[in-house]
Amino acid sequence: MRISIYRFNPELDVGPHMQDYDVDPDSGDKKLLDLLVRLKTIDDSLSFRRSCREGVCGSDAMNINGRNGLACLTALSTLKEPVLLRPLPGFPVIRDLIVDMTQFFAHYHAIRPYLINDEQPPERERLQSPEQRARLNGLYECILCACCSAFCPSYWWNPDKFIGPAGLLQAYRFISDSRDTASAERLAYLDDVYRLYRCRTIMNCTEVCPKGLSPSHAIERIRLALLRESS
Amino acid sequence: MRIFLGQRAWLLQRLTALLILLFVVLGAAGLLAGATPSYVQWHAFASSSLGAVLIVLFFGALCLHAWIGIRDIVLDYVHAPGVRLPLLALIGIILCAVLLRVALTMAAHFLPGA
Ligand code: SF4
Ligand code: SF4
Ligand code: FES
Repeated sequence: MRISIYRFNPELDVGPHMQDYDVDPDSGDKKLLDLLVRLKTIDDSLSFRRSCREGVCGSDAMNINGRNGLACLTALSTLKEPVLLRPLPGFPVIRDLIVDMTQFFAHYHAIRPYLINDEQPPERERLQSPEQRARLNGLYECILCACCSAFCPSYWWNPDKFIGPAGLLQAYRFISDSRDTASAERLAYLDDVYRLYRCRTIMNCTEVCPKGLSPSHAIERIRLALLRESS
Repeated sequence: MRIFLGQRAWLLQRLTALLILLFVVLGAAGLLAGATPSYVQWHAFASSSLGAVLIVLFFGALCLHAWIGIRDIVLDYVHAPGVRLPLLALIGIILCAVLLRVALTMAAHFLPGA
């Protein structure tokens, strides 16, 4: 199998280049990550992030044949050759397939990704009805892999000011939580020409999310919530 | 200034789009129904107060819609403040001038001596 990988080592290289590898997958190699791990035994200078190898940690997001995805969830049998692997587009490259996620997580922290409730807590726990709990479905599953934000043209143009689909999906996760009491402040924070309204409903985010989530739908719900708030 | 930021702009963009769509659909329906107004008829329409109000309303919606759309494109692609601000100012002036021209032309019918 032929794989062409983006290589860049800032300590040695003047600029990035693509390096070709020919490897034969073992019978046990099912996913792209298996093959990358095998490649690493051949060329230990190749750098990429991975941890859980089962689509839970979100660390091995990369651009695979032009589409962002998780190497550990991408079946080798679905890939057209040569397989082109590049780092997440729009993110600063640290080395090879490893990108700098600082800004991405700064947006995540800015939406205050935790429950805010200053009321006296009940003796045991803040209860939710099954319907209230169901509202979090499709939101809480996000693994913050950044496949969506790194596939969003609006995020490419304004990565410093636009929160991006991942952060906005997380923002909506807390806005729709019945136990959170800060929805109004959260919405007021998002009512900004950059933070929320750079989104043009291009829907690349929903198209590419490896967990099957829909950030663009969450963004639509935030806009509707803002509309309700102001009327 | 808030009317041009965040949610208000988004809302205005949609409302003006609806208004423009309404005008376009009505106009197209009129043409399809075989109404091809002559110059005299157009002139009479524009000279009536209803016609003048509709025309100013249409151009108002058009300019506002154009402003929000073009401003969004500039915010996306033009990042240097030294270019962005003059560009936005230029676009704003052009759109205001268009609107002013339309409003003055319409108002001229109703001024004494016109
Ligand atoms: S929404 Fe999907 S693509 Fe975006 S960070 Fe979460 S899991 Fe990844
Ligand atoms: S829907 Fe919005 S957030 Fe998603 S890719 Fe498009 S512009 Fe980006
Ligand atoms: S290695 Fe954890 S998501 Fe792929």
